[in-house]
Amino acid sequence: MSTQSILGLFHQAEPAADAMDGLKEAGFKLGTFDVLTGTPYPEGAFGEHVPQHRLFRFPAFGAIIGFTLSVFLTAVTQLAYPMVTGGKPILSVFAMLIIMYEMTMLSGVIATVVGIVFESRLPNMKPGIYDTRITEGWIGVVVTFDDDSKVADAESVLNKAGAVEIKHA
Amino acid sequence: MASEAIAHESEHHAPPPQVDADVIARELIATTTGASGRFKAWAWILGILSIAGIVSLIVKFTDVGDDSTKWGYVAAMVSFLLSVAGAAPMIAMAPVMAKANWVRPITRLASIFSFAGVATLIMLIPLVAILPPLVTEGARRRTIWYMAPDYSPHFWTTLGLVLLLFTGLMLFYSAALPDFASMRDHSTGWRQRLGKRLARGWVGTDVQWRTLRKRIGMFGTFYFLILVFVNFLISTDFGQSMVPGWRDAIFPMYHTISGFQAGVAGVVIALYFSRRFMKLEKYVHLDAFWSLGRLLFALTLLWVYFFYSSFIVFWYGRSENDIATLNHQIKGPMLPVFLVGVILIWFVPWWMLIWNRVRRGTSAMVVGSFIILIGLLLDRIRIFVPAWSVPGDQIHQKWLEVTPEVYWPNIFDILIIAGGISLVALIVMLMTRVIPVLSVWQVQEFNLLAKPIKYVRGHATLVAKPD
Repeated sequence: MSTQSILGLFHQAEPAADAMDGLKEAGFKLGTFDVLTGTPYPEGAFGEHVPQHRLFRFPAFGAIIGFTLSVFLTAVTQLAYPMVTGGKPILSVFAMLIIMYEMTMLSGVIATVVGIVFESRLPNMKPGIYDTRITEGWIGVVVTFDDDSKVADAESVLNKAGAVEIKHA
Repeated sequence: MASEAIAHESEHHAPPPQVDADVIARELIATTTGASGRFKAWAWILGILSIAGIVSLIVKFTDVGDDSTKWGYVAAMVSFLLSVAGAAPMIAMAPVMAKANWVRPITRLASIFSFAGVATLIMLIPLVAILPPLVTEGARRRTIWYMAPDYSPHFWTTLGLVLLLFTGLMLFYSAALPDFASMRDHSTGWRQRLGKRLARGWVGTDVQWRTLRKRIGMFGTFYFLILVFVNFLISTDFGQSMVPGWRDAIFPMYHTISGFQAGVAGVVIALYFSRRFMKLEKYVHLDAFWSLGRLLFALTLLWVYFFYSSFIVFWYGRSENDIATLNHQIKGPMLPVFLVGVILIWFVPWWMLIWNRVRRGTSAMVVGSFIILIGLLLDRIRIFVPAWSVPGDQIHQKWLEVTPEVYWPNIFDILIIAGGISLVALIVMLMTRVIPVLSVWQVQEFNLLAKPIKYVRGHATLVAKPD
């Protein structure tokens, strides 16, 4: 059975939140319905499912890699070309700090970019059902099904909440 | 969710009118099309000046590419452009992290300055080629690159600036994704195609908004960390290390703080012209100028604090080294430039911005901002021109025994300065043709979170601050 989805369009936030509540009460699993908005509403405004994200792990991981590489690079360079300067030790941390900082930043930024590609679900090659009025302030509630028999239930919930229009895909 | 009610006494922070989301999207996207004749004329003038500046840079490099004493004005321009274009995007970040609602409509304009980092990079290329190596004829000059390979400042400073540019562009792009989706939905022609390509399938799901907030925060933090670091590298490698005996731990921070001052001034100027010539009064409220004015005033006062902290060490020190540095940077041939610079970067803005009436308006604010930028340019010239005027054979001395002659600008230097400034202005102007100068989704968010209310017998704006 093919996956399909429907999109309920709302003028106001309140009925959209009612639709989200209604879908939960009707037994739709979390993750099968979502809200689409053109502007970021405060988190939890629609009583939506809050997924865990791992975005902070990427820059932290990248920074650790960059820091380790920089310590290795600067230490090995100084050990390979041992020159005593101003009576300071061969392995002098203060002389290494600048490169350590810059490489930590470099790796952190690159890892953040990689993390965003994963965590933002972008690029979204199959955006699915959508309506351009969402970027004009309308609110969409999208419901995805594996089972066609639930389409009527979802439509009923959306209509009851006050959907202005329902689109099918 | 916390909220605060801001009571209003006068027009400058009167409750902003509520605008429907569809009107915001339509009107702001429309600002990218239909450039006026005046806009096109200015774009042509700035374009010609930019090309003249780049050509002059190439001619100068082929002509005196082996004489570092002739490159002080280019070094001053690198520092100036880094200060203005590098610091401006911080306005897109710092107040947002502090949950300031007034800044939402202007973050796009501030982050557009990231693109102007290209101008800084163009100016840096010949300078890196001319910067002397760390070791010459067995003698190592005093730099932060103690024990490092010969061309360390050349490599790491360039990499730092490229990293700053990349992070700035990512900060811009991260915040621009929803607006590319708006362009895909409501624009036409090449802008619609560009929007479709760059929106990457953005539909505004909850996950997408959550990660958008997080990545703006992360790139903003990275941008700040890298900006301070690049200011440190440019001010030491291209300033202090060129002058024997100039050792000043406060100078890099002075360079950074004056850069923030210039960044705010640059944003005020860009905001003034966008608001006026794109008819954006409905979206850019006086409250934004009022808040930026307070920021600019604080940074103007910080300038004198950092300058004095740096100056007093040399003045009290009175060693031969200290006296030589003071003569070189302040009391010597650069004294007139220093004095005019101080008046323009600190004294005049201080006495302008101290008045509430000035900060509540737009015209005096933009005049004050122009004055600050002229002062900053003179300040950078009085620092970097004498620094690069030190002949190569004196660079390894313990201190400067003879203050070098002032190198006055020739026609190429003047064209390079005009071209560098024009290139930044041109890039910012052209970007307003590509993407709305005000962020559509952030203006919508501004309206979503701020509601005018009646408060006792007055009026106020109720601002929601989601955690």
